[in-house]
Amino acid sequence: MKTSLEINQLRKVYPPEKKGGDEFVAVNDISFKLKQGQILGLLGPNGAGKSTTISMLLGVLTPTSGEIRYFGKQFEDHRSEILNQVGFASTYIAMPWRLTVWENLRVYALLFGLEYGEFVKRAEKFLSKFGVWQQRNKMMNQLSAGQTTRIMLAKAFIPHPKIALLDEPTASLDPDIAHEVRRFVRDQREQHGTSILYTSHNMDEVADLCDDVLFLRKGEIVAQDTPENLARSISKAKVRLQVIDGLKRIERFACEQSLSAETKGREVVLEIDEQKVAKFLMQLADEDIHYSQISIDKPTLEDYFLSMSI
Amino acid sequence: MNWKHIHALALRHLYPLKRDFDLLSDLAYWPLIDTVLWGVTSQWIADASGISGVALGILLGLVLWNVIWRSQSEVSRNLMDEIWNNNLVNIFSTALTVKEWVVSVLLLSFLKMMITMCILVPAVYLLYSINVLQLGLWLVVFFIGTTLTGWWIGFLSAGIVLRHGQRMQTVIWTLPGILLPFSAVFFPLDRLPSFLQPVSRLVPTTYIFETMRAIVAGAPVDEGSLLYSFGLNILFLSLAVWFFVRSFAHSKRLGLGRFNT
Repeated sequence: MKTSLEINQLRKVYPPEKKGGDEFVAVNDISFKLKQGQILGLLGPNGAGKSTTISMLLGVLTPTSGEIRYFGKQFEDHRSEILNQVGFASTYIAMPWRLTVWENLRVYALLFGLEYGEFVKRAEKFLSKFGVWQQRNKMMNQLSAGQTTRIMLAKAFIPHPKIALLDEPTASLDPDIAHEVRRFVRDQREQHGTSILYTSHNMDEVADLCDDVLFLRKGEIVAQDTPENLARSISKAKVRLQVIDGLKRIERFACEQSLSAETKGREVVLEIDEQKVAKFLMQLADEDIHYSQISIDKPTLEDYFLSMSI
Repeated sequence: MNWKHIHALALRHLYPLKRDFDLLSDLAYWPLIDTVLWGVTSQWIADASGISGVALGILLGLVLWNVIWRSQSEVSRNLMDEIWNNNLVNIFSTALTVKEWVVSVLLLSFLKMMITMCILVPAVYLLYSINVLQLGLWLVVFFIGTTLTGWWIGFLSAGIVLRHGQRMQTVIWTLPGILLPFSAVFFPLDRLPSFLQPVSRLVPTTYIFETMRAIVAGAPVDEGSLLYSFGLNILFLSLAVWFFVRSFAHSKRLGLGRFNT
């Protein structure tokens, strides 16, 4: 598979805000590749460096050092040619509110060099697909947050970009629309081979959509793998028991075995290595502990996120 | 230079004109209010002083000052409009270049200034029977000079905002104001306190307004001073555009996203 985007030793250091203050390393020598048709998730807690990375990839923030190559070409030397093939949508960016949806999209289509006829065809298709066709003549400030997000997505995809950088594109969307957006993103990859860099705070969404996930913390990549493998790296499963008899014994047992346990009423939630769950259940029987309900939650990407964010 | 990008930015700033009263008032309302106010005042001064040509001089000064105001405002206001709309990242994450942005604001500035003039010149004639066009080709020279001045003020103030952030946006309105007394717009240069006159001699518009008054008074035109004014304008415009481009690069080092509210 061809590499669409390659980043080598990318670094961003902000100067001190006040004289004598400390400089701030927002992104610390990160390197990764985005392959053609790949959906790569960029995860990390607030301040991890996700938005800084995306800003550098869009050319609206100058890196301190490092290299960005799109389609094998240096970004610095081929900025306009490259950005003509990069779509961008973010929940945190707006569009001019004194323009209608249609006018805004027309402006962006022209910035991507699209002829009017082609723009009309694509705008109709995307606005209808996202359920905002009826809003096309409304001013941007008359739209709900969810509608604005969908317009931003239409803006990003109308030029048929080879790469899309999507910064939390489903934030503020209702679940059904978010589902539609995820399906749309997958379709874009399948139909046009679009490579997508995707940030989200919705772990289920990232697990569902992304081929690979990059986990950033304090400006550094701390892990890169498939969502399944990252989740698997958290070996603890959650065992949830509705205890009928033996609540004190189970708490004592957890303490002796150094297990993390949380009790709420008669419900006990224990974190246990996945491989030791069967043995644990046998030990409960030996201790004569009775329970009415049991559920075993396998580790998820969210568990990984929480464990890494601390 | 991609003309589709220039076209896109033109649409982005012309679409709202259809419906935005803020923009329409800048374009027509305030220049007309100024015309009425200064027209009556200048006629009263002319009647009281008995000096011929005072009213014409003041009204021509007003028209030319509007050229400066409109052309500077378009440059700096276009930047502020992108900042206020959280749109700076959107437009500069496309293939648009700074050079194309600069060209587009210059063209838009010229277009909007012409619209204002098309309103103002007939208004002055209808209200006070003063024909601004009687200056003939000199008017073209004055228009070019004042437009260049407006542009360098615009790029200087836009550069200051890009470099120091939104807290400095007041320079967009105050910077032209500083130049007003030093430009000898409504009074001859020798009326300015003598210690301030050297400052005035560094301001290109001083020579334009002085020449304009000389023509009104039927005095000979000092072409040398107009050439000097033109040279100063070109120098200041080059420096202002250079400063703007440097400030843009500086702003990108801190991130254009920092302007998002």
